[in-house]
Amino acid sequence: MPKLEQTQSSLAIPKSAEGIKGGEAHIPTKRYRDPQHLHPAANAIISVLLGILAFTCVFPFLYVIVISFTSEESIVRNGFELIPKEWSMDAYRYLWSMKEALLRSYGVTILITILGTIISVFMITFYAYAISRPQFKYRRFFTFLAFFTMLFSGGLVPTYIVVTQFLDLKNTIWALILPLAMNAFYIIIMRTFFLKSVSESILESARIDGASEWRIFFQIIFPLSLPGIATVALFSTLGYWNDWFAALLYIDDPNLVPLQALLMKIEANLEFMRQNMDVAIMQTSLFDTIPQESAKMAMVVIATLPIAVSYPFFQKYFISGLTIGGVKE
Amino acid sequence: MKKKKLGVILASVLAAGTLLSACSSKDSGTSEQSGKSGEAYEIKWYTIGTPQKDTEKVFTEVNKYTKEKINATVKMTQIDWGDWVQKSQVMINSGESFDIIFTNGTSYVQNAQKGAFMEIDDLLEKEGKELKEVINPDLLEGNKVDGKLYGIPANKEVVRQDVYTFNKRLVDKYKFDLTKVKTLQDLEPMLKTIKENESGVTPIATFKAPVRFDYVFNNEMPFAFPFEGETDKVINPFESDTAMEQFKTMHEYYKAGYLKEDAATSKDSWPMDVENWFVRMGGSQPYADLLWSRSAKYEVVSVPAEEPTIINDSVSGSIQAISATSKNPEKAMEFLALLNTDPYLRNLVDKGIEGTHYKKNDDGTIEDLPARIDGYNMPSYSLGNHFILDLYKEDPKDKWEKFQEFNASAVKAPSLGFKFNSDPVRSELASITNISKEFYPALATGSVDPEEYLPKFNKKLEEAGVDKVLKEIQKQFDEWKSSQK
Amino acid sequence: MKRILNDLNKNRVWLLMVLPGTIWLLLFSYLPMFGQVLAFKKFRIDPDGFFASVINSEWVGLDNFKYLFSTNDAWIITRNTIFYNLIFIVLGLITAVATAVLLSELINKRLSKIYQTSILFPHFISWVIGSYFVFTFLSTEHGLLNLILGWFHVDPISWYNESKYWPFILVFMSIWKGVGYGSIVYLASIVGIDRTYYEAAMIDGASKWKQIKHVTLPMLKPLMIILTIMNIGRIFNSDFGLFYQVPRDSGSLYGVTNVIDTFVYRGLMNLGDIGMSTAAGLYQSAVGFILVIITNYIVRKVDEDSALF
Repeated sequence: MPKLEQTQSSLAIPKSAEGIKGGEAHIPTKRYRDPQHLHPAANAIISVLLGILAFTCVFPFLYVIVISFTSEESIVRNGFELIPKEWSMDAYRYLWSMKEALLRSYGVTILITILGTIISVFMITFYAYAISRPQFKYRRFFTFLAFFTMLFSGGLVPTYIVVTQFLDLKNTIWALILPLAMNAFYIIIMRTFFLKSVSESILESARIDGASEWRIFFQIIFPLSLPGIATVALFSTLGYWNDWFAALLYIDDPNLVPLQALLMKIEANLEFMRQNMDVAIMQTSLFDTIPQESAKMAMVVIATLPIAVSYPFFQKYFISGLTIGGVKE
Repeated sequence: MKKKKLGVILASVLAAGTLLSACSSKDSGTSEQSGKSGEAYEIKWYTIGTPQKDTEKVFTEVNKYTKEKINATVKMTQIDWGDWVQKSQVMINSGESFDIIFTNGTSYVQNAQKGAFMEIDDLLEKEGKELKEVINPDLLEGNKVDGKLYGIPANKEVVRQDVYTFNKRLVDKYKFDLTKVKTLQDLEPMLKTIKENESGVTPIATFKAPVRFDYVFNNEMPFAFPFEGETDKVINPFESDTAMEQFKTMHEYYKAGYLKEDAATSKDSWPMDVENWFVRMGGSQPYADLLWSRSAKYEVVSVPAEEPTIINDSVSGSIQAISATSKNPEKAMEFLALLNTDPYLRNLVDKGIEGTHYKKNDDGTIEDLPARIDGYNMPSYSLGNHFILDLYKEDPKDKWEKFQEFNASAVKAPSLGFKFNSDPVRSELASITNISKEFYPALATGSVDPEEYLPKFNKKLEEAGVDKVLKEIQKQFDEWKSSQK
Repeated sequence: MKRILNDLNKNRVWLLMVLPGTIWLLLFSYLPMFGQVLAFKKFRIDPDGFFASVINSEWVGLDNFKYLFSTNDAWIITRNTIFYNLIFIVLGLITAVATAVLLSELINKRLSKIYQTSILFPHFISWVIGSYFVFTFLSTEHGLLNLILGWFHVDPISWYNESKYWPFILVFMSIWKGVGYGSIVYLASIVGIDRTYYEAAMIDGASKWKQIKHVTLPMLKPLMIILTIMNIGRIFNSDFGLFYQVPRDSGSLYGVTNVIDTFVYRGLMNLGDIGMSTAAGLYQSAVGFILVIITNYIVRKVDEDSALF
């Protein structure tokens, strides 16, 4: 029985992908108070429960926003209050004073996110599509080639050597892009997606019409697979936007530091000072680089905001992509 | 069958990869040769600190000078404070090719033992004669690892002296008599007054209760030589009465609310310019109060907490080492020699360009211009010899003389120059490190009751093999000691 | 030979498609694997670069492993890794399925959408940001929790110092970040369930609860099994940011926050012990590999399409 259900849902894919409009679970609406619907009281309870959950998920961000608008004195005296006694724009004024560095970091982050996403989407979809096709004789080998890397990694230092010494990418934007461009896990997701959503019969008819595999890929597969591609794109966008580690390893040039790495740096410098008080006390310049609490929170806000306002728009692709990919992270 | 074929493909692709790498390594080979013949060699130098905007500008000047003097140019790259440990570790382990790198403390010893740095005794003899004469011999002796030197220490204070530093305004207000302060316990009446009368002030700007021993690693780790009595015998200082007594006092202070509640873990760095503290503790140097008062913008005053002492830590606070991967160590050494002996170069690297970053007064003293703070704010301690730095207008004229006196006044710690090789006991050390990280901060800030936690700490240390490590240290120490004679 | 060329030619298109990815994998994944031999060597740096160092370092057999397993750490990190992941899997499954079912039953679809968007939010932020979020609650000086404790005249708690709270905090944070994503995967599957099953159930007079129990949950079962098995396959890997950044690398919490991934990282970065940290990494990979092979075998039995290879 479950087996049957599985095949059913995979056959019904193009339909159900359309059926999900705006990320909404689309249940055919009938009259109220029939057994298909909840009792209003139950509905109310569930609404509240889920409401609490939803609130818990977004509350920290709202709280951070409030803190970023709290005056520093008020923080020192009263802590992070939910409704501060003293509001202040100082944190944002501080950020404005370092706008050059911030804007540059923003620029770097946006650039690597866009370029990186494009590159990785192409590499991943090509690879995944090829290993999903039964005509490809070596598909099992290449599947394993990708899969094996999910488990055995080379370790930090050897990877560092490949990037800096073989490819000579240190202090270039590519050092932030290439090491994150592929991910065996996404390949596997996309492969599952292609296996389930692309039926051989469509391709056969195209082949009979004399279309090349490349044309088939771009004209038929690509549009058909948009939800899956969007999902992988979103994954890698997130990966790039949130990455700080590549910058820690490969970037010395302050002009190439992405936003998250900048945030990490502030914390790391604080930690250094705490452990090396003697140096810190003699080196007063060190203290100058440390923003106050509210300013840190303001940086968190501006690093999160672009994601927070944009993901709801991608959500529907994301959800339909997941439906078919059917794999959890 | 199928697999075999693919094996062939894979092998050929891998071969292509190796070829690629061979090519790239050839490239670096050619640059090496050009360095030796006529053309100026570019010295790659990594040092600590926040990267500065005007570095390039200043180093254009530096290069003009070094090209003329030693036929080399310098590419200096700064790595930010907080990234330093991790990044330098990866760079060194990866065998990246560079010439000079900043290092200090245990990481200097570890990396020297691992072969990351070049032995420079001969180089120093050949290319750095004048440098050798300038540097304090204690610094050179104290930094030998297995009898060999692996880096050029910055010539500055070689002494460690912890002081209690007080907020002078409050001292004056309540007419405290600081001459009576000798120990941690002596602080109590003052702390009480402050706590009761000054609501916005935390009496103690978090510091760790001092337990005075000559530590083999650092004061977190339970291995140390006593300064008095049997100074040749390594012990676990946390089993001493001093430790119990100090931690107990600290715990009382903590309970009385003289410290912040999260003292053990807080990341608060207590910047000087925020006047929210009464007493703090830190390493001192001559005229430190002046320096601190200047950065705090109000007056502070210090009282010594211990005698000035030369310990392994105080001689290895700042070292520039030559990498084992350097293509031209002679040039690197020539540069280090020049940097540490030539006042023009030293000041240029440290303060920037005269007229742009600082201005020189008629009496030879200097003043920072806004461009220095903004674009070239360098950490002096990491860069080299202090005694050839220009004095600031506000500096006392005898600042460097006082430094020399300070250095001369100190006593030498029992284990000065002894570098422990931890390989034979590394598994014990790994777990001991974790245990210390768990207990020490809480105990030393008084956050927990030592009556309960200190025995717990020691018991855990014992289980982790502290005795075995102590034995090994003693063995190596005895060997070292006899080789000294 | 000719046959090989012929074969290659026939698969030309596909080979071209996998080419960029293959080059990437060889460069960034396979080439660095060479470094794994360091697990069996005593690393010494050679002036001629890393490869020379690797080759010239002395073989020490299993010394690094012996060292690793002779410490308490090996046990602690293995225990922590498995223990946390098991809890994450169980609680993650329950919360995700429950949330998905509730979301699907909600009458007001607009509200449902708002909820979905909200609970998905944590999925999109990094742990760097997440650690700041946690800090606003747990900061001993300023944090919300201690403020609230203050209202009830309870002494503030030094959260980053007290290891006993952290298992809960970490589990909570993991669920917080994962529930949105998980529930939406299941929700999507619920939406795909054929309505006729429910209609049939209703004709039989099944209550809502019975419908969930007898239609929705059984329908979700295959997905739940697959996802759970796959998670078990990855039980030796943990979310680095959650265990490293959220506790702010606080030493007094190591006992409950140190997992294999953070141990490997600290071993390399703080101790510079490349041999031991490689050994720990290899241990993780080897056990993980075995687990995944077993898992895949089971998945193949359950649903061949979802098998990885």
